[in-house]
Amino acid sequence: MSASLPSKGTMFAGVNITKLWKDLLPPTIAITLFLLIWEGLSQSKVTLLPGPSSLFTDERTRTLLFFPFYDRGGIDKGMFWQTLASLQRVAISYTLAAIVGIGTGIAIGTTPLLSKALDPLFLFLRTVPPLAWVPISLAALNKNEPAALFVIFITAVWPILINTAVGVREIPDDYNNVAKVIQVSKQKYFFKILLPSALPYIFTGLRVAISLSWLAIIAAEIVMSGIVGIGFFIWEAYQNNYISEVVLALVYIGMVGLLLDKFMEWLQAQIMKGQ
Amino acid sequence: MSEQFIHIENAEKTFPLGGGKEYNALKGINLSIKQGEFISLIGHSGCGKSTLLNMIAGLSLATGGLVQLEGMMVSGPGPDRMVVFQNYSLLPWLTVRDNVALAVDEVLTEKSPEERKEIVERYIKMVGLIGSIDKLPTEISGGMRQRVAIARALAIQPKVLLLDEPFGVLDALTRGKLQEQLTRICEETGVSAIMVTHEVDEAVLMSDRIVMLTNGPGSKVGGILEVDIPRPRKRLEAVRHPSYYQLRSEVIYFLNQQKQVKKMRARKVPVVSRHGLEKVNLEIGFVPLTACAPIAIAQEKGFFTKHGLDEVSLVRESSWRGIVDGLRNGFIDGAQMPSGMPLWMTLGGPGESTPIVSSLTMSRNGNAITLDRRFLEQGVHTLADFKKVLDASPEKPHRMGVVHPSSMHNLLLRYWLASAGIDPDKDLELKQIPPAQMAVDLKAGTIDGFCVGDPWNLRAEMEHTGFTIARDVDIWSGHPGKVLGCRADWAAAYPNTHIALTKALLDACQYCADPANAQEIREILARREYLGTPMEYIQLSPEANIAETEHQPIAHHVFAGEGVNRPSRTEHLWQMTQMARWGDVPFPRNWVEVLEATCQVGVFSTASRELGQTEISYIRNSIELVDGTKFSAEDPIAYLNSLEIKRDITMAEIPIGPGRKAA
Repeated sequence: MSASLPSKGTMFAGVNITKLWKDLLPPTIAITLFLLIWEGLSQSKVTLLPGPSSLFTDERTRTLLFFPFYDRGGIDKGMFWQTLASLQRVAISYTLAAIVGIGTGIAIGTTPLLSKALDPLFLFLRTVPPLAWVPISLAALNKNEPAALFVIFITAVWPILINTAVGVREIPDDYNNVAKVIQVSKQKYFFKILLPSALPYIFTGLRVAISLSWLAIIAAEIVMSGIVGIGFFIWEAYQNNYISEVVLALVYIGMVGLLLDKFMEWLQAQIMKGQ
Repeated sequence: MSEQFIHIENAEKTFPLGGGKEYNALKGINLSIKQGEFISLIGHSGCGKSTLLNMIAGLSLATGGLVQLEGMMVSGPGPDRMVVFQNYSLLPWLTVRDNVALAVDEVLTEKSPEERKEIVERYIKMVGLIGSIDKLPTEISGGMRQRVAIARALAIQPKVLLLDEPFGVLDALTRGKLQEQLTRICEETGVSAIMVTHEVDEAVLMSDRIVMLTNGPGSKVGGILEVDIPRPRKRLEAVRHPSYYQLRSEVIYFLNQQKQVKKMRARKVPVVSRHGLEKVNLEIGFVPLTACAPIAIAQEKGFFTKHGLDEVSLVRESSWRGIVDGLRNGFIDGAQMPSGMPLWMTLGGPGESTPIVSSLTMSRNGNAITLDRRFLEQGVHTLADFKKVLDASPEKPHRMGVVHPSSMHNLLLRYWLASAGIDPDKDLELKQIPPAQMAVDLKAGTIDGFCVGDPWNLRAEMEHTGFTIARDVDIWSGHPGKVLGCRADWAAAYPNTHIALTKALLDACQYCADPANAQEIREILARREYLGTPMEYIQLSPEANIAETEHQPIAHHVFAGEGVNRPSRTEHLWQMTQMARWGDVPFPRNWVEVLEATCQVGVFSTASRELGQTEISYIRNSIELVDGTKFSAEDPIAYLNSLEIKRDITMAEIPIGPGRKAA
């Protein structure tokens, strides 16, 4: 019967309000409920964790919440600057990891000998958790900044590298056979067949890596004192028992992580249009 | 050999398996392909047909033998042998145009960019996809994608197009359309093509030749069929062509046979020896005809058991091909066969020589030549009348059915026609059709007549579709009909069993010859496991004819009597000359030796002596035939030379040694 009727939804400025409402209502209710329970628990003193309302009731936190752009020099900066500093580190290390990961991945995927030689090493290194890299990188690099960058890099590089290698190895035989029969040049093979074919795998790696590097930055910054960054910000707030600040930072971290993932998804959709 | 376009000689392919073992996929493949031919490779899954295709493509090289294209060894893939893969293999990130252009730009480098662009568009237009030229493969249907793949393949102007089940994943309707389209394109461009398929109709519709591969391991070419349907072909016209169903059933027969071989290989029967006989568990093949009576009776009336063969099972085959293949592959121990077949198989009629021996003639006569009823209406009563009709309409093709090149039907029909100056190959077309299909084909009008054993003549007569123009007694009275045939190596390995088998069947022949038993025999033969046909079509011999029908007594099988069952070398020699005359087998230079090895009179004599029958002394009498000539065994070569209507006769030395070991 619905086939003969026009869509039931109310349209507003080209947006189907009914559908939007249906999509947004359940998560809204769930989040509200979650916040209410949290608030209830902290009001009833079951936990010492301040409730979500403390973001507004606590004065320091309120300042941080409403003035994300302040900068009093040193490490006393607004949340925006803190986050940006962390993001910059991620951007540098992640880009580096992407270049190294994709490059090495393709090399390994196309060269069975290399793959044989390096696979065990990579499988081993990949399982080392980001936090375990911190002391080593500190010891090796001696300075906070490069050590943080290194930790992010080493965390992000494995998923990219391994996925790329798999993607290259998994190029369907049919594509390779076509390439063999028409005897495509090396360069054309790379750009017209290898890269597009491995692209979905590479992007899977890139998406996993961006989440991981965002995880790693927090870990890296927590232990590296005296730098601007959201990780260290959390650590310091905890040290000073400003728990509601930690909560605020968590909200920031979560939101940035979500945005990063969505960005990669969008990028993937843009590049691989039609596939 | 360089004039061959594609030449494959003794090619083989082995794949290494784990643990130092290897799998032999293809063995001893020989195939030559002419320029512009469309070849289909057909066989069961896993028979290595794709492997063979890949060998030609160079994607996976032969591990032994020769694979040549225009005299050059295939040493790797190349654009002169473009492949169309089953799952299209289009690059999904490139548009239709770019997919084709990728290939064209790489291969046709000597052309200017404008020319290449023009070529890309021309070939996309040829497959009717110019409207979708800028779409991605994901935006078009499976059938369209495969058309793009074909366009891509043709656009680079390969010497040969290699198609690996190109329509395998498409729905029936799309497949049909594409088959026709590809056929048309190949006809127009004249490109050679080799297609792997498992679709029988596809193969018959599209190919010039169908190459049938046997089951692996060690698959080989099991047979090659020429498809004589004229081009350009349209599906509906091709289906109506008289060869279509014959070819189709040939391929299906082959595939079924392969399936059986697989089953038989799976169950290896151990030899059971008992009662001083080397082997008592026998599989005896027969074709459901009235003349199979001795075999049916030996089984039903216990003659096999009487002579110690207490584990005999009968294998019913619908055509003589089944008997030939069963014996060649060693799946049956012995069989009823047309009297010319032992020599035909010995002389390499089926392709390679399988020495066969015969120790018993089981029936004589029982054949007739039937013509379509419409000839009767045209006033055809005699052979001379028939020749007049044929001469009056030379443009009209006339077809007649015979069951097997080695059968007496074929030889008698040809002899009869030739005696009136009709060339059986030039003035007529003789088709090989299984006995049971004759009456159906006559009714359908795809053949104008046939020569076959009963019950089929009688049946055509009684159903008013045909009439008997000549009986075998008019051509050669007392000609051998069906004989017992066993492999020479089998007979050598189980000599006592061979004698026991001869005795049992000789006993049965005598039982069949007694008119008192006729009614019982007819009842047995009418049963489903034998002929499965109404009793009124089954008549045994003139004496036994029970006047149930108003038709002339045309059934006149002779199962026993003086000199009936003894295998005769003169008769076998006559058949040898006739088969050589029509080019079915070479005439052996060592014909005396071949005859002596094939026609085992000694076994017959022992058998009949042991049955207590007085041995009639062997008289080498001559054979008298319809045209008044007498055939004697004195000088067969001079006889052959004296014949007017004949094909090119080849001579060959046929090695008659100890046969291959029994399987």
